[in-house]
Amino acid sequence: MRAEPASVLTEPKKQLRRRSRNAEIVTPSPNKLQLSKAIRKLQRNAPAYAMQGLVELSTRLREATGHEIIDLNRVMEFVQFAYQQRELAQRGTAYAVDDFGFDPQWTESFLSIFKVLYRNYWRVETTGIEHVPATGRALLVANHAGVLPWDGTMIKTAMFVEHPRPRHVRALVASLFMGMPVFSWFLRRTGQTVGHPDDTRRLLERDELVLVFPEGVKGTGKPFKDRYRLRRFGRGGFVATAIRAGAPIIPVSVVGSEEIYPMIADLAPLARTLGMPYVPVTPFWPWLGPLGLIPLPSKWRIQFHPPIHVETYPPEAADDRNLVMALADEVRETIQEGVYENLKRRRSVFT
Amino acid sequence: MTPPFQPRRVLITGVSNPLGAEVARRLAPQVHFLFGCDVADPVSALEEMDFVHADTRHAAIAKLIRQLRIDTVVHMAVTVDSAREDRASHETNVIGTMNVLTGCTGPSTRVARLVVKSSQAIYDAGPTDPSFFSEDMVGPERQGSSVTRDLREMEQLVGEFALRNPHCEVTTLRIGYRVTEGTTLAKYLSLPIVPTFAGFDPRLQLLHQEDAAESVVRSVIGSHPGVFNVAGSGVVLVSQAIAIMGGRPAPILLPYGRWMATFGLRALAGIFLPGHLADVLTFGSVADCTRLAEEFGWGPSYSTRAVMDSFARGKEEEVIEAPSPPQEYELQVFLQRRRRQELRDRQADSTSMVTRQ
Repeated sequence: MRAEPASVLTEPKKQLRRRSRNAEIVTPSPNKLQLSKAIRKLQRNAPAYAMQGLVELSTRLREATGHEIIDLNRVMEFVQFAYQQRELAQRGTAYAVDDFGFDPQWTESFLSIFKVLYRNYWRVETTGIEHVPATGRALLVANHAGVLPWDGTMIKTAMFVEHPRPRHVRALVASLFMGMPVFSWFLRRTGQTVGHPDDTRRLLERDELVLVFPEGVKGTGKPFKDRYRLRRFGRGGFVATAIRAGAPIIPVSVVGSEEIYPMIADLAPLARTLGMPYVPVTPFWPWLGPLGLIPLPSKWRIQFHPPIHVETYPPEAADDRNLVMALADEVRETIQEGVYENLKRRRSVFT
Repeated sequence: MTPPFQPRRVLITGVSNPLGAEVARRLAPQVHFLFGCDVADPVSALEEMDFVHADTRHAAIAKLIRQLRIDTVVHMAVTVDSAREDRASHETNVIGTMNVLTGCTGPSTRVARLVVKSSQAIYDAGPTDPSFFSEDMVGPERQGSSVTRDLREMEQLVGEFALRNPHCEVTTLRIGYRVTEGTTLAKYLSLPIVPTFAGFDPRLQLLHQEDAAESVVRSVIGSHPGVFNVAGSGVVLVSQAIAIMGGRPAPILLPYGRWMATFGLRALAGIFLPGHLADVLTFGSVADCTRLAEEFGWGPSYSTRAVMDSFARGKEEEVIEAPSPPQEYELQVFLQRRRRQELRDRQADSTSMVTRQ
């Protein structure tokens, strides 16, 4: 019951008092659990306390054992990741993606995780990073292996870890992934786009660094016994696009990606029903469930080769089948040789 | 050399939809005679425009074009975003266009310029598509939703017409998706909790109503034959668009088995999501407007982000545009009759003056 202000003024006091006694007490219901001040303060300072404790623990362990048990730098990478995620959540709608749907800030927030994988998990050794130009267009062409495209991720990370002027690498992915939930938005938002000649041309015309895997799913889905044997390089379409866009081709050899998921069998009939290119069977997948998705910690080497200057050809040369196929073969040979050479330099699969 | 063609007698079909009305409003001061036709009453009464109830689905529209001695036809009676069943929109889009084209052919016709409103929905968004659609990426081999197929058939008819009638300049404008009051996309994005396709967050490209109208007006006044994409620059992500509108995305629609998503949206929010729009909200459709910029020397003034921001502001302001009451239409007809009578009287006066002298 709510009385009109006028009636409140005119009503006799006694009546008013009675009414107020009968009235329900309308207080805002405590819909939010109010924590006490001390607890809220603790909540706010928890990350700081945790860090303090961790530092202390790390120092004590180092004193006791003489070894670095907890690597604080590595811990800091994760803290940074968490902090960046919080910052991203706070930016609201005040961000812009480029026309391809690429969100650089969002992508860079994952770098700290990928850097840990790059440095500590796969211990990637990168050579020839000086061949990648700091500005301007270029087409990186790499061999493709491993059931999931971790090699692309590591090439992207290498540009940030090793290159004096870090740049985002825009990889081209099979259209199949663009039709899959989660993959479709994650890949686009981190700068990837469909492996369509039109997209490649547009990216190169914007002076981007584009990464292409001409082997495609034939490379990632090859059995373990065929490891480090490059598949057919399509019909050399990437060479034609590079000539038309006037971009140098930089061959990239990746070693180590073949062993992350040793594929011992392919459930082809199941793959056909699901509309997938392959359904892999590894020693751990699908037997261990989601644990089987953890890649093995093989030792990686990435080599960037000197650029092949196809931009010296006139754009009409892109229609010359002989030339295009010859150049594609040259790129393939360079990558294959680089793979063999880096395999020799690696002591064993895991070291 | 013949002087460049200037439109004098212009007919706008489908003038009662908001875009058609906006085009009429902008064209009215620029041309001598403006005629408008539609099935429904006009949204606003324009004094300079003669309105007639006419349905493009009937062959009589061809007679109308010839007898009014129309020299420029602006064909806007093309439905892309309608809740009506597919059969009806097929009639309007394909049969209606056929009838209008019939009116533009033949020896007695004076039509020298034809502007057809098409839509970006002609590109059927899918996972294998490149990130940008340019004008020549419409192939017959592609399977699409019913609207997409109808639009493709319609544009094929228009293309054949343009080939057979070289004296007539044909401009086809593939208008981008708009979020003006009443479109399905606008209704969808304004929901407080927006059901989205789980695991997909595509790019969204939008066009402001003003830019859409401006592109049509420019192709009526200037000579720009060809097919053009018209869409705002830049993109926003669907999740971003929802956040700008103050909503919250709920990834609950399954990307497989479209009918379930359509049915769910209809039951939950009362929104009928056409097949082509479901594709756009799953895979995204972005048009490349380079050709428009090169040929017209003009581009939409609102970027996609600006369209979204102005739409969000409009939502706060709650602009309610009252539909014109039936009396207004009556009043308009009355005024038109008066005006014509006066004109006739004046002409009669002047002729009698001439004879007396």
